[in-house]
Amino acid sequence: MSGDYKFDTLSLHAGHVPDAQHGSRAVPIHQTTSYVFKDSEHAAALYNMELGGHLYTRISNPTVAVLEQRVAALDGGVAATCTASGMAALTTAIMTICSAGDHIVASSRMYGANINLLENTLPRFGIETTFVAPDDLAAIEAAIQPNTKIVFGEVIGNPGLDVMDVESVAKITAAAGVPLMLDCTFNTPWLLKPIELGANIIVHSLTKWMGGHGIAIGGAVVDGGNFDWAQNDKFPTIAGPHYAMNEINFVEEFGPAAFTAKFRAEGMYNFGPSMSPTNAFHILQGIETLPLRMQRHMDNTAALLTFLQGHDAVAWVRHPTLPDHPSYELVQKMLPKGAGSIVAFGLKGGRDAGRAFIETVELASHLANVGDAKTLVIHPASTTHSHISADAMIEGGLSDDMIRLSVGLEDVGDIIADFELGFKAAARVMKG
Amino acid sequence: MKHMVNGDQIHIATGGRDFDPNGKVLVLLHGSGQNHLTWVLQGRYLAHRGYAVLAPDFPGHGLSDGTPLASIEAQAQWVVDLLDSLNVPAATLIGHSQGVLVALEAARSHAERVESLVLIAGAAAIPVNDYLVDLSDQALGKAIKMMTNWGHGPGAHMHDNTQPGHSFLAYGRQVMALNNRDALLADLNACNAYDQGNAACASITQPTHCILAAKDKMTPLRAGQKMAAQINGASVDVITNAGHFLPAEYPMEVNSAIRAFLER
Repeated sequence: MSGDYKFDTLSLHAGHVPDAQHGSRAVPIHQTTSYVFKDSEHAAALYNMELGGHLYTRISNPTVAVLEQRVAALDGGVAATCTASGMAALTTAIMTICSAGDHIVASSRMYGANINLLENTLPRFGIETTFVAPDDLAAIEAAIQPNTKIVFGEVIGNPGLDVMDVESVAKITAAAGVPLMLDCTFNTPWLLKPIELGANIIVHSLTKWMGGHGIAIGGAVVDGGNFDWAQNDKFPTIAGPHYAMNEINFVEEFGPAAFTAKFRAEGMYNFGPSMSPTNAFHILQGIETLPLRMQRHMDNTAALLTFLQGHDAVAWVRHPTLPDHPSYELVQKMLPKGAGSIVAFGLKGGRDAGRAFIETVELASHLANVGDAKTLVIHPASTTHSHISADAMIEGGLSDDMIRLSVGLEDVGDIIADFELGFKAAARVMKG
Repeated sequence: MKHMVNGDQIHIATGGRDFDPNGKVLVLLHGSGQNHLTWVLQGRYLAHRGYAVLAPDFPGHGLSDGTPLASIEAQAQWVVDLLDSLNVPAATLIGHSQGVLVALEAARSHAERVESLVLIAGAAAIPVNDYLVDLSDQALGKAIKMMTNWGHGPGAHMHDNTQPGHSFLAYGRQVMALNNRDALLADLNACNAYDQGNAACASITQPTHCILAAKDKMTPLRAGQKMAAQINGASVDVITNAGHFLPAEYPMEVNSAIRAFLER
């Protein structure tokens, strides 16, 4: 082997070689809580982080490790750690870096649960957030304070579809000595590997496109290994003596994987946000076909955008690949393979027409998920963002009539036919 | 720990234990363009098994200040200076790759300071092709990528790692990126210029163990076996399927081989 394997090959193989004992070609499900030590010395070596290996599935598991190594390989990170959900990934990543009194700068246009965590939950633990528009570079820079420990955003915002200029934001955060953490659920590494553009930590909900099948919840945190935690005095629990293991200094001991070492040694140990081995197995099955599915997602999205834009019942369509989208120019440069398979649109007739559409379509499923192989539709104002204030909705670029469409892998002609049914129902509402 | 050697502040990993100069001292010597992180899975392990571990970053490498040393002879002298500064009369030298050349040279030129040798993925001569040397000067990122690709065995290329969730290739690239801009070029030139390896092997009287990798493309197995054959009484372990970076790829096998030798 004289070079890195390519993305499609890594999607199938990374993280796993057939084991010597059984030769299992597929990744085995290690459905076990714990692991027999070879002897007491081996146990001590594992507890003391002298060697890699598995102690207890709350901390690591062989099946989950294959998924972690696959995600790390696809994103180009030095390491990844999987968690029970995307929200567990984000929460644990923040807790690994921040303490009471710290501050985060975050995009104001993100998934409702991300905003809820930052706006309402973390302040109870002394961690405050300043929200700024993800496309306002000056505002991002101005919001960074001496106690800012993370700049956080989504590459493709959910559900407003604002695209962050990763390279430009990364230059700002690098100059400030603050890590750039990005939620990459909507782009997946197939569309973009932000670490190559200077991002430092990647958070995924693996539940979505990575798994793709809608059968397993999971998250991942990828460590770019490209942030110097010792460059300033902002990160004493990573670059200074830590209570664990006789005052270990994660930077000195583990170098570029210092964040991951602390994430596992403290986050997985103390918070316990573990992914189940069976879920890891399911998500691995999905990732095997990620490149094929993503291409089909992009093809179907392009066809549906053409259909929606030309339909009389549709008031507006929003997608970053459309020329009237504010992120269009950036997308041409940063996301040449596509800007995801989420489409936002509004129907003439507003909220009532939207409800009629959603309740009439048969092939498209009305549910609170995205990135499934099946086409999904939802009305964010009454569901995912119902707990967000009206002002925050507007700030997040959301409108009352907006329908979020997650384009699936069905025959696109069948999706269009299904939507025609919905549009007819919406038209009946408009006529009263 | 931070420590001054020849006027430079040096970082030395001690495996999470306070260094005891009166203990059984092991000096772990990293290879070209590497640093103490070569020994992530050896340093803590050996330090917690009763050894006094010193895994220094050579000047200009990793977390150490200073300018990279230009020759293997200078690096061997620097190791002796390090021992002097810590009042260590003699130590076991454990080298990887270029660190093997440094260990050989230290044994040749300062035999009284070397108790025994563990030579990992090494050879008596490590010639470096001109293309890689040029890349390390003109396009360091490409040189680092080439070395991490060639340096890892088949399991590592499949990201099969004993450390859950870790990627050998990306980690390896970031480890090398920690060094001074000119560290890799200086190291490769030092390897190319060193021509005392055969003489050093012939001079060695200390107990020596060689740990070699069957899939090593940087210092091929045959070159390592030839080196071992030149050292009187040297024993050899060959780790199947391992690439050049075997301390990370096969840590348990490497650690077991080191301990078996030290406790012989």
